[in-house]
Amino acid sequence: MKHDILQRYAQLETRRQFFSTGAMGLGTAALATMLPSTITAQDDVRRASVSNPGLPSLPHFAPKAKRAIYLFMSGAPSQMDMFDYKPAMDDWYDKDLPESIRDGQRLTTMTSGQSRFPIVPSKYKFTRHDNGGDGMWVSELMPHTAKIVGELAFVRSVWTEAINHDPAITYLCTGNQLPGRASLGAWLSYGLGSENENLPAFVVLNATWTGRKEAQALYNRLWGNGFLPPKHQGVLLRTGADPVLFLNNPDGVDSAMRRRMLDALGKLNQQTFDAVGDPEIQARIAQYEMAFRMQSSVPELVDLSGESTEVIESYGPDVHQPGTFAYSCLLARRMSERGVRFVQIFHRGWDQHFNIPTDLPNQCRDVDQAAAALIMDLKQRGLLDETLVVWGGEFGRTIYCQGALSRDNYGRDHHPRCFTMWMAGGGIKPGVVHGETDEFGYNVIKDPVHIRDINATILNRLGINHDRFAYRHQGLDQRLTGVEEAKPVEAIIL
Amino acid sequence: MSIHYFCSRWHGLVLLSAALMAVQLVAQEHPSEPAKMIDFARDIRPILSATCFGCHGPDEATREADLRLDDRESVFDESGVVVPGDIDASELYQRLITNDEYSKMPPPDEGEPLTVQQIESLRLWIEQGAEWSEHWSFKAPAKSALPQVQHAVWPENEIDTFILANNELMGLSQNPPADRATLIRRLTLDLTGLPPTPEEVQAFTDDPSADAFERVVDRLLNSPRYGEHQARFWLDAARYGDTHGLHLDNYREMWLYRDWVIDAFNRNLPYDQFVIEQLAGDLLTNPTEAQRIATGFNRAHVTTNEGGSIEEEVFVRNVTDRVATTGTVFMGLTVACAACHDHKYDPISMREFYQLFAYFNSLDGPPMDGNAKVHEPSLAKPTEDQRVALQRLDEELATTRQQIDVELAKIEYVEPEQTVEAEFAGPVEFVWVDDDLPDGAKPHERWEFVSVGDGPVLSGKKSHKGSANGFHQHFFVDATKPLRIAKGDLLFCYAYLDPENLPQQIMLQWNDGSWDHRVYWGENIINFGTDGSAARLRLGDLPAAGEWVRLEVPAEKVNLQPGALVHGWAFSQSGGTVYWDKAGIVSDHPQNIEYHSFTTWIDDQRKTQGAGLPEKFKKGLSNDQAELDEQELAELQRYFLQNVYHDTREVFAPLQQRIEQLEKQRSEVQAMVPTTLVYREKPEPRPAFMLDRGQYDAPGEPVERDVPKFLPRLPVGVSNDRLGLAKWLVDPHHPLTARVQVNRIWQQFFGTGIVQTTEDFGAQGTWPSHPQLLDWLAVEFVDSGWDIKHIIKLIVMSATYQQASRITAEGLVKDPQNRWLSRGPRYRLDAETLRDQALAVSGLLVDRIGGPSVKPPQPDGLWFAVGYSGSNTVRFKKDDGPEKVHRRSLYTFWKRTAPPPQMSIMDAPSREECSVRRERTNTPLQALMLMNDPQYVEAARYFAQLILGHPGDTHARIEWMFKRALGRKPSTLETNIFEAHYQAAFDAFKSDEDGARRLVSIGEEPARLDGLAAVELAAWTMTANLIMNLDEFVSKP
Repeated sequence: MKHDILQRYAQLETRRQFFSTGAMGLGTAALATMLPSTITAQDDVRRASVSNPGLPSLPHFAPKAKRAIYLFMSGAPSQMDMFDYKPAMDDWYDKDLPESIRDGQRLTTMTSGQSRFPIVPSKYKFTRHDNGGDGMWVSELMPHTAKIVGELAFVRSVWTEAINHDPAITYLCTGNQLPGRASLGAWLSYGLGSENENLPAFVVLNATWTGRKEAQALYNRLWGNGFLPPKHQGVLLRTGADPVLFLNNPDGVDSAMRRRMLDALGKLNQQTFDAVGDPEIQARIAQYEMAFRMQSSVPELVDLSGESTEVIESYGPDVHQPGTFAYSCLLARRMSERGVRFVQIFHRGWDQHFNIPTDLPNQCRDVDQAAAALIMDLKQRGLLDETLVVWGGEFGRTIYCQGALSRDNYGRDHHPRCFTMWMAGGGIKPGVVHGETDEFGYNVIKDPVHIRDINATILNRLGINHDRFAYRHQGLDQRLTGVEEAKPVEAIIL
Repeated sequence: MSIHYFCSRWHGLVLLSAALMAVQLVAQEHPSEPAKMIDFARDIRPILSATCFGCHGPDEATREADLRLDDRESVFDESGVVVPGDIDASELYQRLITNDEYSKMPPPDEGEPLTVQQIESLRLWIEQGAEWSEHWSFKAPAKSALPQVQHAVWPENEIDTFILANNELMGLSQNPPADRATLIRRLTLDLTGLPPTPEEVQAFTDDPSADAFERVVDRLLNSPRYGEHQARFWLDAARYGDTHGLHLDNYREMWLYRDWVIDAFNRNLPYDQFVIEQLAGDLLTNPTEAQRIATGFNRAHVTTNEGGSIEEEVFVRNVTDRVATTGTVFMGLTVACAACHDHKYDPISMREFYQLFAYFNSLDGPPMDGNAKVHEPSLAKPTEDQRVALQRLDEELATTRQQIDVELAKIEYVEPEQTVEAEFAGPVEFVWVDDDLPDGAKPHERWEFVSVGDGPVLSGKKSHKGSANGFHQHFFVDATKPLRIAKGDLLFCYAYLDPENLPQQIMLQWNDGSWDHRVYWGENIINFGTDGSAARLRLGDLPAAGEWVRLEVPAEKVNLQPGALVHGWAFSQSGGTVYWDKAGIVSDHPQNIEYHSFTTWIDDQRKTQGAGLPEKFKKGLSNDQAELDEQELAELQRYFLQNVYHDTREVFAPLQQRIEQLEKQRSEVQAMVPTTLVYREKPEPRPAFMLDRGQYDAPGEPVERDVPKFLPRLPVGVSNDRLGLAKWLVDPHHPLTARVQVNRIWQQFFGTGIVQTTEDFGAQGTWPSHPQLLDWLAVEFVDSGWDIKHIIKLIVMSATYQQASRITAEGLVKDPQNRWLSRGPRYRLDAETLRDQALAVSGLLVDRIGGPSVKPPQPDGLWFAVGYSGSNTVRFKKDDGPEKVHRRSLYTFWKRTAPPPQMSIMDAPSREECSVRRERTNTPLQALMLMNDPQYVEAARYFAQLILGHPGDTHARIEWMFKRALGRKPSTLETNIFEAHYQAAFDAFKSDEDGARRLVSIGEEPARLDGLAAVELAAWTMTANLIMNLDEFVSKP
């Protein structure tokens, strides 16, 4: 009796530990020995993946998207110069924003001292583009995006509480304005795991930009693991010789020598395992082998020689320059093809307090063609249906001018009350325009969408109920969407 | 029901207890297993907390049906929520098992239903009498009687008795002791974060005396390396970093605090004092410099100066971080949960949160950090060298001033009959900037003079140039002889606009302490200053291009009033190419000339209202009518003779120059003096208010400082301030402080705390694996005078700690995570220890203690990829020289928005917020780093050099390498594998000598070898690289 019970307890404990600690625990080592050495990116073997199997309880329901690409416009794009068309403002040039519209809303201290808030209509020409539905007005700054509005779901009524960059971008990327929480990608890596044994589940690219040089900072926390295990933090994919940190063998050491070293290392570690019995040792052997595989899978990933000229050119001229947004978009597609769960590209320079006419067109040129090409490239390969693409920044900009106003030059301050994002692909209704702002583009008047709802939508498309996706930390069930109510945006999902 | 009573029936007890414990753990699958004995604290409270407290807990605002299940009164009141012994009458139970969807708890949309086994536990609890106790950690710990153990010879001290008693009940056997080589390696890594030397291993393994181990322990506890190693755990908790952590993330100087922490551990500062000094060192009577430095603990949180930030919001965030960190680090409480509402699980009301807030809201300094390395309040601490230098400079200054006095005394001044200065009666043009900058001016890095031939030049041999696509400016500041502004003065300069590349706007700016004196021509793009004011005034369209144009600006227009001193000038533009030349002032009083007549000089000074003269003269010179008394006149005359009088310039100029030099040197030394952020209280406490939902702009009723009601009251006689709060924390009756700290120490040695959730001892925290042991240690800690080394010594002297770490089949099954300590601790070393070990084994480690942070190499671009363009940490530049790049890792510069990859890849936290527990993961990125990071490769090469320096054949060298890296001899099999590996590497490099040369060139000081020497060294480098990647090398054994 005693023996039986203990035996059963032990089994239970072993199972429990496996599921709670995932690959790093006991179960992994056992599994590692059972697995073939090469694993394909098939969903059904994902659970057995050595390094990152995800949670057994996920997905909560059949996912519409298997993976996601997030095009993050850091600094806050000026929505009324790009997507939120406000024709009535033409008559309001240099007139004061009515107090009834501002309604006591707090302002940043960069403009709260301004004696007046003169309205500045966009100087850019908007055209209505057919999206298969009611159409979408897009400014001349985004000609390529305009051509594919039929693929996109725009949300013009996103809002947030944060009013400065650091808290706002931290809020959108981690669900909280203060440092310390897990980022969206880390959540996805933790929950859904990796689809590819040889590449990380969450990859981050920091693109170059050509607009305002004094760009807002980024922070490692935006792709950090927060309270989740550190293996879920985003891996930076860089330009240059070492796309992943320390990927290359030391100068003078070739792959054959590294292989010999790993063979010896494996034998010696196995011996230690035999003597000590710590399953962690076998996990380490597996990690060194994966490191070795990454030494070929990553260079293969960034080697564009197999891409057709037609595809490469579709991303625009910048694609030839490593590190640009266009180049990053092409890599994002290649990663999605290879099953990388989440790719996030950060494009900086969108903080147009001044000089919109000189800086904003450059910013738009950086991203417009490449983002559109990414969508069409994914579509052409049949990947768009299962790949969610998200575009947007951390807040919007004001309809009133910051600094000196002229017909040809103006700037806009931070505006958290409404801004525009778009989504496309995996489970998103194409050709939708959701939400509406008032004629000043100042307040949401229809279908407000909080940034929590955006995150809930992303999780939802990936088969996750945001409410049930929690991690116990500091006594609380932490969620990406926080403690306040959040809901997926039904109107834009299939 | 004492253990003693059962002693005579020992076997029965073992069986029964083991069965009970096992039943409890398998209850999941077999709810019908008989009679599990319920322990409320262990089994029931966690269920109530996890599933009920959200709506029926401490938070009044969200409490449903006025029912709280965290409170004994409410649970057992006459309404029959719980009726001991009667499940039918217990509403709580009935609500769980009912099928009625309207009364079933929890309501379907409020949370997951309870599991079958949770409901079963509640049933058993009620049936067994519904015993209730307060949450375990909120009661003061007491030492319980030591449990009886069967294997009485095993325990070395009390720790072992508790561990063994539990394991005997569970039928778990203890591992035998680790061998001595393993033991000293484990111990040395644990106490100092460094491996033992082969000599230390040898000495210990050869030492037959009974107290051999204890003497090693004492030696290591007294090593200065001990304090460094302990400090780095504390620095995670204190969220220490070298940058502000938010937005610009500029350099912030605080390493004196780090030095204090190291020193505090090394001198074994009692923990109560350690807490008091960090929380309230400034409030102690006559605090020492060290005690004030200690208060940096509450200044180490992240701060911001982001443009547009609302000061009050930043203020609240800063204070909230201090409260939250204090709660986590000292009490293991998640107090910040109560910032927006009453705590959901622990009895901390929102009001109580703001009462704690009131202790930390009166910092005497601004909330915004100014992006500066010094964010007041601060403390400056000169090094010994600096102190000596400052003293010497002060002495020399005094001597020189004496000389001046002596010379002054010799002069008999006579006013000349005819004044020479009369010629300055009309306006005169004074050129300030031509081919050179004014004296002392510090130019901006973009200042570019161009000579004739490279561009148009109007005057002299050079002009200066600005050229850009967007905004551009060049400027200087700090001219030692400023322009002295008088009434009616006119500023001027010449500009030449390139007709091929016209700017959109040009701007001139002057600095008299502020830059808010600007004019511009052309478009209004550059956004400095308030538009339309003297801080941004438009004077017209762009001047004609392709020719030199004189620009004139009346000083008054840009709000430069008589008496202003202009010591900086900026030449700004938006786009285009602009040349500038010959800038200065037109004035009817002379600038910077020598005088023959005191009277004339005085008259001139009145025009500029004494600008540039010592403050004391200004009143008397403020206008033509102001009177100067005898005394003032005499002093003015002294000033005149010393500084301005033509006839004595020869005497005084060199002395003046000497003074200027000395003062410059002094300020240079002063600027290098280390500073650190400290806490200082405002003279009057700032009022505190409840903040509705934690919103900075929604203050509610005022609150007074107080501690939460569920904890002891403030001790009698303490002040109700941070000092009182600190003393309250370390009062022996406080239930949490000692427990939390001994648990953290335990975690350091065993990898996991007795309470696994080191950061949370509240209702949602984990149940301690060994509650009685935790309490015993906590009381022992307090009784020992909060002696950290005493607790550490107890731990490492225990048989539990000294067990072999081998996992037996039984251990794997019954104690997979080693929570029951049936074996010694074994796990991967932390980030810092890994790097320090590599440096130590290779002989590279620099053992200097303390000082500023250093920047060992890291891959290029990591800072630049994220940094704000204007941040002073946007570009990483590695330090040069072994003295800096081979320091221990706790001295590595920590940029919080992009921490050093060698640390973060190995699970170090970002230091943006307090962290008391690190995860431990195992990833391919770690493998890549340990194999390929140039610092690790460099360490392997230096290790290889040492190996090569060891006499003997390959076998002998492999043996030596093993001893140095792992503290033991290799087995034959290991020797063979290594030898084969060496030989293969040798052969490969032999046919690729260039590869060998390149490999041994990696690092701070390349080996500069080629040919066979390089081949041999390269082969050993790869062999060292192999041993330094062994699981055994990267793990605590």
